[in-house]
Amino acid sequence: MEQFIAGTLTLVSSPLSMLVFACGLIGGLLFGAIPGINMLTLGAIVLPFSGMLSAADAIMFYSVLYCSGTYGGAVTAILFNIPGSPENAPTAFDGYPMTQQGLAGKAIGAAVLCSSLGGTCSALLMMGATPLIADWAVRNFSSPEIFALVFFGIAVASSVGARTLWKGWLSVGFGLMIATIGLDPVAGIQRYDFGFTYLLAGIHFIPMILGFFAVSEIFVQAERRVRGRFDMPKFSTHFPSLAEFWRLKVAVVRSVLVGFFAGVLPGIGVTLAAFMSYNEAVRWSKTPEKFGKGHLEGVVASETANNAATGAAMIPLLALGLPGGAVTAMMVGVFQIHDIEPGPLVFVNSSDLVWVVFAAMFFANICILGLGYVETRTVLHLLRIPFQFLAPAILLLATIGAYAVRNLVMDVVVMFAAGIIAYLMRRSGYSVAGIVLGLILGSIGEENFAQGMQMVGYDWGEFFTRPIVAVLVFGGVATILTNIYRELSGKRKGVEV
Amino acid sequence: MKLAKAVIGLVFGAGLVLPALAANLPDKMEKPGGFPERPLTMIVPYGPGGGSGQVARAMIDGVKEAAGIDITPDYKPGGGGLVGLKTYMAAPADGYTVLQHIDDATSGFAAKRTDVHPAKDLIPLVMAQITFSQIYIRSNETRFTDWKSFVEFAKKAGGKATIANVAGEGSMERINMNLIDQHFKMKVQQVSFDQPSPRYAALKGGQVDALFEQPGDVKGFLDSGDFKPILTLLHERPAAFANVPSMKDVGLTFNPLMRYRGFYVNKNTPPERVKYLQWAFQKGYHTQNFLKFNKSKFMDLIPSFRDTEGSAKLINETMDVYIKTYKAMGLVK
Repeated sequence: MEQFIAGTLTLVSSPLSMLVFACGLIGGLLFGAIPGINMLTLGAIVLPFSGMLSAADAIMFYSVLYCSGTYGGAVTAILFNIPGSPENAPTAFDGYPMTQQGLAGKAIGAAVLCSSLGGTCSALLMMGATPLIADWAVRNFSSPEIFALVFFGIAVASSVGARTLWKGWLSVGFGLMIATIGLDPVAGIQRYDFGFTYLLAGIHFIPMILGFFAVSEIFVQAERRVRGRFDMPKFSTHFPSLAEFWRLKVAVVRSVLVGFFAGVLPGIGVTLAAFMSYNEAVRWSKTPEKFGKGHLEGVVASETANNAATGAAMIPLLALGLPGGAVTAMMVGVFQIHDIEPGPLVFVNSSDLVWVVFAAMFFANICILGLGYVETRTVLHLLRIPFQFLAPAILLLATIGAYAVRNLVMDVVVMFAAGIIAYLMRRSGYSVAGIVLGLILGSIGEENFAQGMQMVGYDWGEFFTRPIVAVLVFGGVATILTNIYRELSGKRKGVEV
Repeated sequence: MKLAKAVIGLVFGAGLVLPALAANLPDKMEKPGGFPERPLTMIVPYGPGGGSGQVARAMIDGVKEAAGIDITPDYKPGGGGLVGLKTYMAAPADGYTVLQHIDDATSGFAAKRTDVHPAKDLIPLVMAQITFSQIYIRSNETRFTDWKSFVEFAKKAGGKATIANVAGEGSMERINMNLIDQHFKMKVQQVSFDQPSPRYAALKGGQVDALFEQPGDVKGFLDSGDFKPILTLLHERPAAFANVPSMKDVGLTFNPLMRYRGFYVNKNTPPERVKYLQWAFQKGYHTQNFLKFNKSKFMDLIPSFRDTEGSAKLINETMDVYIKTYKAMGLVK
C-alpha cells in the first residue's frame, strides 16, 4: 500500500507526468477507435521521442495508452460494426445488433463500465501478485495447453450466429482455412500463396475484419434501403440500469477471471481474452441462442475481458521480460531506450518506476469511466447522420484503416472482397462471427499445436498426458457431441448475425 | 569446409581492419545535387521492438546525428522478411527509400524463395551487427548443468530432449543445431517459436530443455541469473563469456553461421547518391550513441562494422555456405 501511495504521489506531483498520463488516456481513446490507425500507430509515432521522457513517464504513457486504447475500439464496433482492433471484434457481435435495436446507449454504457471494471480489477490483481502469477503461468501453460484452450473455445462458440450448427462449423472452417494462407508458423513452408508475395505474408486480419463487419453491413443496409425495408437506428442514450448490471454480476466476475488468465499467458494478449470470454459467456448461458442477436451479456463479456487482460499482460512483461502483444513489445523497446531490461530485476532496481506504472494503470481505468461517459454522450449523435452520408464515411474510414495497417493497396482489395463474401454468406445463414473466430483463433491454435507436437516429439499419447490439455480437449469434444445432439433433436435454436 | 573457414576468417579478420578504414571517413560530405531534399523512408521487414526494429531505430538516430538526414521507418513484416524485400524492390531506385535486412535475405535467395541477391541486386551501405549464438539452460536446472551433461541427457532421452529456436526450416539456427546433432550423434527436438516471448517463457517455465539464441537478445535473463549459457558457437571463447565452453573446447569443427543485420539501397540508384548514403550510414554507425547501443547488445564481441565491400564479401561467402548446406540437406537441387 505504501508503494502504491508513493507511486500515486510521484504521478500527481509532476505536471509533466500528469500531462503524459492525460495524453496516453485521450490518445488511446481516440486512436483506439480508428481501425488500422489504432493505439499501435500512436505508440509507434511516440516511440522515437520516448527517450526524451523519464523512464517512468515513458513506460507510464504506454501502459495508460494500452488501457484506454483497448476500450476505445468498442465504440465504433458498437455504433458502426467497425471494431477498432481485433480484441473489439466480439463486442460487435452483440453491440451492433443492439444499436440496430435502438439500444446503442446501453451497449456503450456497458462497454464503458465493464472496461473500467475489468481493467481496475486486473490492475489490483497485478499489484498484488505479479511475480507469483507470472511464475505460475510459465510453469503450467505452454504451447500444448494454449492449443487445447483454443480448441475448447472454438468448439464452444463455433455455432454462434449461424442458422444451423453445420453452417456454423462451415463458417469456422472457412476462417480456419483463411488462417492457413501464407508461411506456416513453425517450419516456414509456403502454403496457398500461388506465387504471390502478398499471400506469402498471409491475409492480415484487420482488412478481413473490416470487410466482414463494416463493408458487408453497408451492403446489407443498402439492400434494405433499395427494397424499402431500411429503418434508421433509433437514437437512444439510455444507459443500462444498476439492476441490469446486477443481473450480469456472475458474467462480469467470470469475464474478469477469463480475461486476466488469458492476458497473463506470454505471447497471447488481449485478443484471445475477448474471444475466450465471449465463448464462455455463450457456454454458461441458459439462453445461448440470444448471443449474436443483440445480447447485453455478449458486450459485457468481451469488454470486461479485454481490459482485464491489459493489467494481466503487464505481469509477464514486468516480472519476466516477456511481452504478451504488440503494445507490450513496444514497452520493451522503451525500457531498453532507458537502459532498463524488463524482468525480475526491475522490481529490485526500478521499484519506483514499477509502482508509478501500477498506479497510472489503476487510475487510467477509473478515468475511462468518466471520459467514456462523456464520449458516449457525444458520439452517439453520429447515429443521427442519414445513411446516405454515413455509409460512404464508414467505407472511407474502413478503407483508410485497411490501407494504414501495412500501406498496401491489396489490403483494401482484400477488405472489399471479404465484404462481398460476407454479404453473400450472411444471406445464406452462415456466421460472420464464426469466420472471424476461425481466422483469429486458427492462427494462434495452429502455431501452438505445431509447437506442442514438437515438444512431445510428435507423440499423441504424451500430448494428452498433460492434465490441462486432457481436460480441455475432453471438454471440447463433449461440447461438440452435445451440440450435435441438440441440433439433431431440434433443441438448438438457430440465429443470424 | 575451406569455404566455411573463409567466412569465419572474413568475419573476424576483416572486422579488425575495417573500423580503422571507417575512421578515415570525412566529417562532412557535400549533398549530390541537393539530395536528399526530403526525409528518406527505411523499409524494415520485421515488426518494431525486435532485433531489426531496434537496430533500425538506432541507425536512424545515428544517421540523423552524423548527416542530419531524417528517415522514417516503414515496417513491412511477413514472409520471413521477403514481403519487405519485395516491397522495397517495387519502390523507385532514387535513394529516397533504403532497406534494413538480415541474413534471412541471404538464406532466402539461397533457398530460391526470392530472386533478389542482397549483394548483387542491392548495394550494402553498411553492415551494422554481426553476432554469434549460444545454447542456454535454466540456471536452476538439476538434470544437467553444463554442455557435457546436456549431451549425455539428450542421448539418454532418445530424441525427446528439446531446444527452442526460431521458426523456419533452413534458418541459420536450425542449420547450426543440425550440425551439432550430427557431431554428437544425438537428436535434440527443435521447437520453433516465431515470437521471442513464448520462446523464452518455454525455457523459463521448464517446457523445453534448452534455448538457441544470441546473447544480446537474452541479456535480461542473463543479468537476472535465470538463464546460463553452456556453449558458445564460436571457436574461441569471447572475453565476455570466458567461462563458457567454445566449439573448440567441445570438439566441434564446423564453422557456425552468424546472424547479421545491415542496410541497403537498390543497385540502380544514381551512383553519387549511393556514395552519399554510404558515407551517411557508415558515419551513423560510428556515432557514440550507435556504438553504445551495439555494445549493450554484445555486438562489440565480434567486430560488426563492414563497409560496402566487406558486406558484399560476407554475404557472398555466406551465400555459398547456405547453398552447399541446403543441397546437402536436400532443401534445394
